[in-house]
Amino acid sequence: MTILQHSGAAAFARGAGIGKRSQSRLSALARHGGPFAVYAVFALLIGLPLALVLVQAVMPGLFAARDASNDLSLEPLARVFNAPYVAGSVLHSLELGMLVACTTTALGGAFAVLVQRCDIPGRAAISMVPWLVFLTPSYLKALAWVLLMSSGGYLAQFGLLPLSLGSAFFGLGGLVFVHTLSLFPLAAFIIGSALAGLGSELEDAARLSGAAPFRIWLRINGPLLAPAIALSFIATFAEVLSDFGLASTIARMSNFGVLTYGIYAAASDYPVDFPAAGAQALVLLSLVLLVVVADRLLRRRADPRLISGRARPARLYRLGKWRWLAMAAALTLTFLALALPIAAIAARALTQTLGNGLVWSNFTAANVVAALSLNTAANDGLLRSLFYAGLTALIASSLALLLSTQLDRAGAALRSAVVGLSLGSVAIPGIVLGFGYILVWNRLPGFRDWPFPHYGDGSLLVMGYVAAALPYCLVVILSAIGQLAPGLTDAARLHGVGPTRRLLAITLPLILLSVVTAFLLTFIRTVFELPISQMLIPQSGPPAPTLILKLFSHDRDGLASAIALVAMAAAGIGAALVWYPLQRFMRPRRSVARVDAGSPQFVKAEILS
Amino acid sequence: MSVRTTFCLAMGLSTLAMAAPASASDLVLYDALDFAGPVAKAFQAKTGLTVDIVEPGSTGETLGKIAAEGSNPQFDIVWLDGSAVLERMAADHVLQAVPAAAYDKVSFTDLGKSLIPQSHAFLPTGTSTTAIEVNTKKVAADKMPKSWADLQSFAGKVAAKDPNLSGPAYQWLAGFFQTNGLDAGKALLARTLTNKSLSGLSSGGKVNKAVLTGDASVGINQDSAIFSKIAAGEPVVAVYPSEGSVSLPQGLGISAKTQHMDAAEKFIAFVTSAEGQAAMQNGDDTDFFYIPIIKGIDAKPGRETNITYTHLDDAVASAHETEWKQWYKTNFVQ
Repeated sequence: MTILQHSGAAAFARGAGIGKRSQSRLSALARHGGPFAVYAVFALLIGLPLALVLVQAVMPGLFAARDASNDLSLEPLARVFNAPYVAGSVLHSLELGMLVACTTTALGGAFAVLVQRCDIPGRAAISMVPWLVFLTPSYLKALAWVLLMSSGGYLAQFGLLPLSLGSAFFGLGGLVFVHTLSLFPLAAFIIGSALAGLGSELEDAARLSGAAPFRIWLRINGPLLAPAIALSFIATFAEVLSDFGLASTIARMSNFGVLTYGIYAAASDYPVDFPAAGAQALVLLSLVLLVVVADRLLRRRADPRLISGRARPARLYRLGKWRWLAMAAALTLTFLALALPIAAIAARALTQTLGNGLVWSNFTAANVVAALSLNTAANDGLLRSLFYAGLTALIASSLALLLSTQLDRAGAALRSAVVGLSLGSVAIPGIVLGFGYILVWNRLPGFRDWPFPHYGDGSLLVMGYVAAALPYCLVVILSAIGQLAPGLTDAARLHGVGPTRRLLAITLPLILLSVVTAFLLTFIRTVFELPISQMLIPQSGPPAPTLILKLFSHDRDGLASAIALVAMAAAGIGAALVWYPLQRFMRPRRSVARVDAGSPQFVKAEILS
Repeated sequence: MSVRTTFCLAMGLSTLAMAAPASASDLVLYDALDFAGPVAKAFQAKTGLTVDIVEPGSTGETLGKIAAEGSNPQFDIVWLDGSAVLERMAADHVLQAVPAAAYDKVSFTDLGKSLIPQSHAFLPTGTSTTAIEVNTKKVAADKMPKSWADLQSFAGKVAAKDPNLSGPAYQWLAGFFQTNGLDAGKALLARTLTNKSLSGLSSGGKVNKAVLTGDASVGINQDSAIFSKIAAGEPVVAVYPSEGSVSLPQGLGISAKTQHMDAAEKFIAFVTSAEGQAAMQNGDDTDFFYIPIIKGIDAKPGRETNITYTHLDDAVASAHETEWKQWYKTNFVQ
């Protein structure tokens, strides 16, 4: 990722450091211990559990229930590669990942430009849409679309679904459609945050030199955004490869076998076919790492460092009458990605049976009432999940901030290793990571006797959540830190400010929105994180996702839909309570009119940025 | 207070919060059965002993968790559908034999007695079987299937569970081969399950969904799942095939590593008591519609119990398990 590469005199100067009294042991530790800490965190959270799963592809007897042995064998790999369905699912996964990465990046990028740089009506409301879409987990969206599109589903009941469209939906077309609608927020976040960091100086300069808007985007903004676009492409690709929500619903119903489902199938029996699960996980991971490495080989440039103390907010484009068309497009997207799936889930939550459809006698409030009443299993699970998610978000975003500052100081090799690891681990299916956690914390001598974290407690569940969330937080915070002009912290250091204070008083305020973004992303994703919740379910009680899934698999999708609805509302309100007050304080108001350097808003923007 | 102190305090507090003590209950129960919660609650109310219930999801997911825990199981009691898998756990020394005295205290019916395993790997608490689920809105009354063989006329519209993901589904497959003959049975399935998107479903809930949405006209499903849908007012019926049905017992097993043998035995005694059986019927979901196997206990109203059983040859079924599951996967799943 070029956005994370940088070199030059400033970096060299920072790396060299100046040994004064104020730069006591902490900074020495940071210089020497930094890379070590980064590696240790990754090894413990992700590396070791993953390795234990993968190694079984060549040591099939390692965790066998009887006669465990550590003999090497290529039998599992040979078996997996000789099975025709594995080759089929590799091709399916690749085909789907590539297609969705293209459509999602295009849709998300267009959305980010539309919302951040154009004067479409209702901009503030529309900019909330990606967050809300992100709030709904993929397995719920998949379920909603199944409720809508299946031949006896809601759309067919209303006569809105031509038969041919219904059958075509359960195939590659439908998968790309639902994935794109569900993942476009990721692309919009990544490209949008790069867009926000661009400022307007370069653009203003180009315009003063007579360049037309199209030329500015092609020659200036486009190339500057290229790293973010590539990042969005790769993150989406990895996300699709590792997705399990759609793989187990629409893909399964369409007989479109993908790798994650193969791993799940191998891991859901007694005894578990660990070698087959390990071998398929190995294939999956290799695919993602290949893409990351290919990206690095293709583009080796220094990254732009654009956020300085003087960045001005970019101006908005006036679309004229086209703005209504743009708004219609955004609203259509909102309807398809958000309103329709939520309506389907709400309809299911408020009815007794699916087969009897939306007739008056079929409606009931019992499911929602059960989810909202205190001291019910449903409500307990919900509260537990909100607590775990808040804790996870706090730990993961703080850890990512600390690691990012270490990484920003470290060499390019470490940075690329960590980014590769992060993206690779985004692609690790949660079920594989969950298995690895059980193997490490319940089977490995030494680990299994540690009191904290301990398998079966909430502590290990939170640790698993942190591991699953850390890569995301790192990608978000690293790209923000990467855009900071080095001069800001260098100046502070020359004035004798210590590393902790530099982090808290300079770096953190400048990238606070990104840190909070990482926090909220983690919070929302964790409330609904499914596979790790299943594998590491605490003995003290299940978190909400496990409960929702259990109800679905035990055929009580009415109550499951009700819990899901309430959970979405709770997570959404929680996130909004953090985000809105903060945004009010942090983000300078932007107007269509020319920014006046003397206006109070501009002064505030200068102070804050 | 400086920013740094605040920061450290926040991190410290979160660590403390995470360190909340492990639950120290009297029993840890792993299960994938709807009635485990109500039963545990009733047990707790009667004996004062606390039970932690761990339910990762479907039977397959619960099995995956137990398999990952391997030689260091964290449960005291496991309660699942499917006798074969419990036998395998006992063979791997994950489970210990249930004490003979526990069986003697229960007055099993003849059906119940036939389900007690020689190895004492588990204690049967109830049973169910596999039936043909028919959507009455899609299939006319005079076109109802009467046997497994009749399902051919619904080719492409038959929903079935993948035996690789469902213990009961494997017992159905083995029973089907036993009653229809291996080669004839394979040929019959090849003519019937012609739609891979319906023949490799992962749970009974998904078979229900396929039949209810109309994607499938008929389904091969656990009969308790069908009765729970009928009770909920869905337009389906259960048809028992003329070839006879194979019983799918639910069993309680005891961990080989349990430190709470007393509590485990008390739990077994409670489950097989009239109160325990009442708790097992105190709900409307699939598993509450089990077939009781203890004298004097009736099934939930609406639940058919007059069923012709055939006895599954467990030795043949377990000898061919890997081969037949793989055959099913290659032909009807992927």
